[in-house]
Amino acid sequence: MTRICWRLVDIVSRVLEPGERVVVRGDFAESRETGAQALCDVLGLVGRRQAALWRDWRPWLILGGLVVPLGLLLSLLSSRVVGQNSIYFWMYFNNWDRALFDYRAFWITLAETIALVFPEILALNCLSWTIGFVLGGQSRRSIPVHGVLFCLVLLFGEFVAVPRYMQLQLLSVQDTLGQAPGRPLHDNRAVTFYGLMFPLLVQMILVVLPSFWGMYKGLGGATHSLLLRTILWAPALATMAVLAAMQGVGWAALATHNRALLLRSWQTPPLLFAVAGPVVYVATARWQRWRMSSPHNRQPCS
Amino acid sequence: MLGEFEYLLLTGAVRLGDDAYGAAIRQEIEDATRRRCSIGALYTTLDRLEAKGLVKTWMGDPTPQRGGRPKRMVRVTAEGIRAARDFYDAMMRASRGVSWAVKRSGVRP
Repeated sequence: MTRICWRLVDIVSRVLEPGERVVVRGDFAESRETGAQALCDVLGLVGRRQAALWRDWRPWLILGGLVVPLGLLLSLLSSRVVGQNSIYFWMYFNNWDRALFDYRAFWITLAETIALVFPEILALNCLSWTIGFVLGGQSRRSIPVHGVLFCLVLLFGEFVAVPRYMQLQLLSVQDTLGQAPGRPLHDNRAVTFYGLMFPLLVQMILVVLPSFWGMYKGLGGATHSLLLRTILWAPALATMAVLAAMQGVGWAALATHNRALLLRSWQTPPLLFAVAGPVVYVATARWQRWRMSSPHNRQPCS
Repeated sequence: MLGEFEYLLLTGAVRLGDDAYGAAIRQEIEDATRRRCSIGALYTTLDRLEAKGLVKTWMGDPTPQRGGRPKRMVRVTAEGIRAARDFYDAMMRASRGVSWAVKRSGVRP
């Protein structure tokens, strides 16, 4: 129990500024507090520090300008991925039969399905990472609260905002196209699993995990040089701009009843833009590691 | 005017002199009040006092007792001493003639 408490103290104290973290850990070592007492103390300190941060206008701006809109956007995108692909998952998992392996047509269909589903999954995954990276880079010290609020926005988006938005959009689409483009998403949710658990699973695996990973990487971005930061942020900002443009185009198409534009705006964000952020990050990290390990940069051992 | 906890912190720091740092001040406050003092209250108050210019803080040297981690050293400024004195005087004036102050000093107004 004590070891778990100290482990938690370690994790929670990472939210504190590095200087304060070592001082507080030193105080704990000196006063010989128990793990539980130390955990209460560090939670209290983190709580007070977070409360103090929220007296400033910047965390509120990040909340209103990034966390809420990007969280809702990711909910919308993950709902689209669920709506468009849950039928394939149902087809393969609920109608599983070993005898299917013997048919060549099965493998051809499977390959086609993967070719159809995989880019969307990859795009959503990479977009979530990029959005997390942007949030982590901007939030910095307020990231614990922003991270929790981001998850709440995702849940709210998935179960409240997106279904209502879809209904509104369908009505507008009917006005524009003169017909509904298909059955609304919630009509397909007859089975509880595909209506409740599947969207949550998709959100957890394709949105929450990569965006938290992105936040973690974004937090470390401040230590890089200006050039490196520019290289890292350029694709992330380009992705954000593409996302904003696509949403803007969608709404403009609905408002002006522009059929061609509307159909184009429904497509998932281009994979190229979606993967740009993580790819550039991985490439930069590898380049940095290679530079650090090159013989010129090694300190001579004396 | 200072708050009650700010006064306790300043008093503890002045009493400790050159040895004033986070954990030691916390111990002083706990001894004086006979109540537990949280690290959160201590460090956020210390930041507030520093922002008001009543104390100065800096990182001390790491010690083995603290697992090689540094202390946050504290020194009360002249302005801090003035603020603490004003608070004390105000408390003395406010307490004049009240039953608990009379009982302690043994003097009737």
